[in-house]
Amino acid sequence: MINLKDSFVERYARQRAEAILDKGSFRELLGPFEGIYSPHLLVQNIVPQSDDGVVIARGTIDGFPAVVIAIEGNFQGGSIGEVSGAKIAGALELALEDNRKGIKIRPVIIFDTGGIRLQEANYGLLAISEISSAISELREYVPVVGIIPGKVGSFGGMSINAGLLSSIIITMEGRLGLNGPEVIELEAGIEEIDSQNRQQIWKIIGGEQRLAMGLADHLVDDDVESIKTCLHQIFKEGNTSPRSIQVERFESFISNINPATKLTPQDAQALWKEQHDVKTTAKRKQPVQYNSRGARWFKALTNGTEIIGDDVPSVLCADKGKFRYLSITPNPNSRFYRARQGEVGLEEGWRLAKHIREAIEEDKNGEKRTIVAIVDVPGQAYGYHEELFGIHQACAAAVDAYASARRAGHPIIALMVGNAVSGAFLAHGLQANRIIALDHEEVNVHVMSKKSAAKITRRSIDKLEELACKLVPAMAQDIHSFASLGAVDELVKAVNADEPTMEDVRVIQEKIEELIADIKAGTPGLQHRLQTKGAKENRTASILVRKKLAEQWN
Amino acid sequence: METYVFEFPATKTLKQRAHVGVVGSGDLEVLIQPNNEGKVIVEVRTGTDGFGAVWKTVLERFFKENDTAMNVSINDFGATPGMVTFRLAQALEVSKRYD
Repeated sequence: MINLKDSFVERYARQRAEAILDKGSFRELLGPFEGIYSPHLLVQNIVPQSDDGVVIARGTIDGFPAVVIAIEGNFQGGSIGEVSGAKIAGALELALEDNRKGIKIRPVIIFDTGGIRLQEANYGLLAISEISSAISELREYVPVVGIIPGKVGSFGGMSINAGLLSSIIITMEGRLGLNGPEVIELEAGIEEIDSQNRQQIWKIIGGEQRLAMGLADHLVDDDVESIKTCLHQIFKEGNTSPRSIQVERFESFISNINPATKLTPQDAQALWKEQHDVKTTAKRKQPVQYNSRGARWFKALTNGTEIIGDDVPSVLCADKGKFRYLSITPNPNSRFYRARQGEVGLEEGWRLAKHIREAIEEDKNGEKRTIVAIVDVPGQAYGYHEELFGIHQACAAAVDAYASARRAGHPIIALMVGNAVSGAFLAHGLQANRIIALDHEEVNVHVMSKKSAAKITRRSIDKLEELACKLVPAMAQDIHSFASLGAVDELVKAVNADEPTMEDVRVIQEKIEELIADIKAGTPGLQHRLQTKGAKENRTASILVRKKLAEQWN
Repeated sequence: METYVFEFPATKTLKQRAHVGVVGSGDLEVLIQPNNEGKVIVEVRTGTDGFGAVWKTVLERFFKENDTAMNVSINDFGATPGMVTFRLAQALEVSKRYD
């Protein structure tokens, strides 16, 4: 008799969660009959789903208490909106609370997601950063395991979260990348990636390649028993060193890559296999140009203090007093041709992580310096090599470093002086305890260019803009809309955003000092963001979901 | 998106609520719950506009054969009439599983 495989991929999210948990132990929290629909889809004339595309289930795994979070890829591409995002973040926060008290809860996340839901963009961004924060801390107590079975795969902000996990199980059908192939093609052209060439896409970001590149841990068959066996084994073995903290290893690997000619997935695997420790460091060829707004603010705030490390010229880092300032600036000479305009790319992500972790290490027995992230980032780098070498992992490294520094007691301040886009903002800014933003029309927050967002959500740019105007603050890109969600602590008017004066610097420094005092009086988590006036008015679903989850937790 | 509400007479009662399907391409989500009103009350939300008459026909036929009092919530993403009937039947089947 042939033993047919019991497919995991073919199941819906709810059945996937049920399959992972020990037989008969499945208990759903905030299930379909609770009626917590997305409050933002209906007003945009989009049919919602009763669970908003995320299933939270308690039960046991191999006899131990567990929580399984399963994302439904069939609903709106498994996208993360306010409700679905709050369900994931809330469940992880509750698991964290229990683990802190010594109650071991095994957390498993089943990924099937295109990332942030474009129709709820600003909510998605905040939710993703809250999920990151929870994973990064929870991992200290118990392995946080991800399964990427396949169909949608894992993309966008949720892949940054995948990069924070203790362990990733993937199948041949699974894909793991930051920017979806369609978006790369739209942003960079078909020469960069042909999104219709499925075979090629899987060779770049498919399960087999991810395992070979050290970006996933276990390649399993699409079979329930195989996945369960693998999962049980991971929990038995306990904590390992997650990828996102292995900064030296990955940074040295990336420093040896030269994408002057197109490297094939086979080339990439060969490079990873032989990875040597000799770093080919390209030193800065000329003095820093300060040719971006972020760089000018960096210069004004650091006032000519020496820049630390010049082998990744796009990442500016300097210490002044008890502050470490970090900014990303264009490097027109970057080997990575898709990351020359100040984007967060492979080098930038890992380098941010290095600078932050150095500060944690140096201050471990003394006063913790404040880390100021100067945010002027036009986006993450959309490119073939970026995906091939795991840009999601580079972003995750930066996220993890910021979150770890925050937990270690470093006050983290994000200073938004320019654009704050998508994965780049998640990697550089959104893990901050407090956020200061300049009240200026060129300070924008968004998750995708209007051109791409229109194409992906199948609407015209006009329609998109009309919706954004009507539906502030879900999709609009201006800083006021973002700030209305309560995550911006100071909106500073009347400074010269482009060319900061001495007086402007003084004003900002004063605000920073006030916020540091506020941070020190509170907790190191991101809970503060849900306690602000803006959050109480405009993130009611984020708050309600957490409250209800807590009621149903035990 | 369009929303419709339909009511049909019912004689039987539903013992247990049930949920099936997803709001995915060509599919729909159906939630059924018992009610004490002696009728079927269906609320349909569909992303495919202009098919009110088809919905009425499909649902009428189904609930003529299955005259069970309940509240039905449908979130549709372009399912065919065949798919709609299949999901409704499945929901009743799942509901009976707990008998």
